[in-house]
Amino acid sequence: MKAAFLSNLRGRLMGGASRLFAPAADKGRGRIRQLILLIGIAYLGIAAKLVHLGLSHEAPQTLKSAADLAAAGARPDLIDRNGAILATDVKTMSVFAEPKNIIDKDEAVELVTAVLPDVDAHELRDRLNSKKGFVWIKRQITAKEQNEIYRLGLPGIGFWPENKRIYPNGALGAHVIGFVDKDNIGIAGMEKYLDTQGLTDPHVPGFQVDPEALKPVRLSLDLKATQALRDELVQGLEKYHAKAAAGAILDVNTGEVVALESLPDYDPNDPPDFTKPANVGKINRINVGTYEMGSTFKALTIAMALDSGKVSLGSHVDARESLRSGRFTIHDFHATHRVLSVPEVFTHSSNIGTARMALMVGVQGHQNFLRKMGQLDRLTTELPENAKPQVPHHWGELNTMTIAFGQGLNVAPLQAVMAVAALANGGHLMKPTFLVRDEATAMANSEKVISEQTSESMRYLMRSNATHGSAGFANIEGYYVGGKTGTAQKIVGRRYSNDKVFNTFMAITPADKPKYLYLVIYDQPEAAPGDGGYHTAAYNAGRVAGSLIRRVEPLEGHAPFLAPPVHPFPLIARLGYGGDADRVGKE
Amino acid sequence: MWRLVHLFAIAALIGSAGYVYRIKYQTILEAEQIVKLKHQINKTKDEIGVLHAEYEHLARPDRVQELADKLLQMQPLALNQIARVADIPEKNAAADSIGHKLEELGLGLSATPSNGAAGATPSAR
Repeated sequence: MKAAFLSNLRGRLMGGASRLFAPAADKGRGRIRQLILLIGIAYLGIAAKLVHLGLSHEAPQTLKSAADLAAAGARPDLIDRNGAILATDVKTMSVFAEPKNIIDKDEAVELVTAVLPDVDAHELRDRLNSKKGFVWIKRQITAKEQNEIYRLGLPGIGFWPENKRIYPNGALGAHVIGFVDKDNIGIAGMEKYLDTQGLTDPHVPGFQVDPEALKPVRLSLDLKATQALRDELVQGLEKYHAKAAAGAILDVNTGEVVALESLPDYDPNDPPDFTKPANVGKINRINVGTYEMGSTFKALTIAMALDSGKVSLGSHVDARESLRSGRFTIHDFHATHRVLSVPEVFTHSSNIGTARMALMVGVQGHQNFLRKMGQLDRLTTELPENAKPQVPHHWGELNTMTIAFGQGLNVAPLQAVMAVAALANGGHLMKPTFLVRDEATAMANSEKVISEQTSESMRYLMRSNATHGSAGFANIEGYYVGGKTGTAQKIVGRRYSNDKVFNTFMAITPADKPKYLYLVIYDQPEAAPGDGGYHTAAYNAGRVAGSLIRRVEPLEGHAPFLAPPVHPFPLIARLGYGGDADRVGKE
Repeated sequence: MWRLVHLFAIAALIGSAGYVYRIKYQTILEAEQIVKLKHQINKTKDEIGVLHAEYEHLARPDRVQELADKLLQMQPLALNQIARVADIPEKNAAADSIGHKLEELGLGLSATPSNGAAGATPSAR
């Protein structure tokens, strides 16, 4: 049609030209003009075609480029701090079709679905009838399936190698590792982090990355410690019939998360669909959940009071009577009805005592301190999952009093862990990390939030709580453990429930020069038989933390001390305290 | 004379052509071999990767624990079974306790006669 049009055009033009140039005497010149005109038109035609090609969006695709684009890209291996593989790529075959090369589509659909019964025939027919040059039939098939399809001998159907992400350790560390979708794109956890950092093959034309160039990424996790943590948490979950459990181990000097588990969990090889309500319980409670941390927050309050200088270890606080504020009355769970020393406030976990201490610092001072400790703002780590703490809108004296003992402020447990780690490590607040980091780097990126002396006082208090307080179950001989329990009543309806609790336990080892911080959380545990009906943190989270310490410390190469350290707390010893932490409860 | 030279030149030409032909085909063959080997290397690497993953899957700590619980008659490690090298007491200087005893009884080695020297118990000879 085009050719006919052109010849027609040419004829008319020539006719026009001959008429135009007929009177001219020089016929040769006219011919030349005609020729020039024709060539010009030809060039115009070529130019038009070029513009058309340039403007058209669909560049002609070769099969290889189409398959390469559609296939799952390569990702670097994820390894734990000791080099054990946490996630790796393996090559699998996927079967694809080129619809335009298939002779009998109905026959192809019939034969293929006979071999691959889980492929929907209707959907496959639609896909084969599409105008695309390349469609997947099924991703990641087995060698047997591949062989059977190959034997069908259908034209227009072929195989393409793809990368499939596998997690050899199943659910271990799943919340940190995360998972990928069928196209090997990170959806959660460190897998998503890898994508945002450009550490994977992005699969954009022109940006091909050689899979060989992808170096393994080393996480801070220790696989064996993670397994110990998960095993202990699972045992406790069954024993105490809790709704959920979570735990973490943090290196307080580097901020590295050595282990993190949240139960119930999932197998990243078969990740759950988090948009479904049934799977909401499988979230990472350490990073995404926000909770009232209960008495573990008292450590922050006491550190604040000590660091402000308004209180010293030798001060006394009146806890004889319940504290009234408007309609509310603050009671002590283990009421002592007497004047308590600061160490006693800690070991008896006195609500009244800590509330009074917070009032001494004042609302503004309390807010400033908690903000400095990172408790009022969203904590972001490498993991894409995080949560904003729920801070009260109007923060009055009553809020300060309740937040002092851990009610009325919901934070992510990892946030609280970060703050307690800073109390323990000499006052250096550092963001927890899921990648390996050395101490020098961590210190360079840390912020000094409390004095060395306050930090030492807190270590002393935590140690004394292990020997004379509620953390006794975790006082493992030889590791000089310090700890703090936290039993927070859960809000049921609009009231704090008496029998539904959220329990946390934090322990540091060794208390004189901490290396690890252990966190164990149980949501709604029940009293185990033989515990006299107690379901407070010491009985579940504390016990589990104890067996965890017993198990993890040797794994990490720490032999138990034969004798306790000689001068565990030199700074406060000079002031006359804590010479013997094991006697503090009586001071 | 010239004829000979021509013949020689033609022979050289044909010979060199044949030589080039052979080299060319050898090169193609080698190139094919290289491609084949590269494919094989990649395949083997993939297989190694799969084996690595399989090993990690089989040696994953929870499986090892399960197997150990089921198949081994071992008790959990107690903390008092662990000690630092520094905590182990220094080994005493080697002592010859039997020799000591003999000496105490007056039967010490120093008292044995040797090489005809006058012994402590010459009469026993």
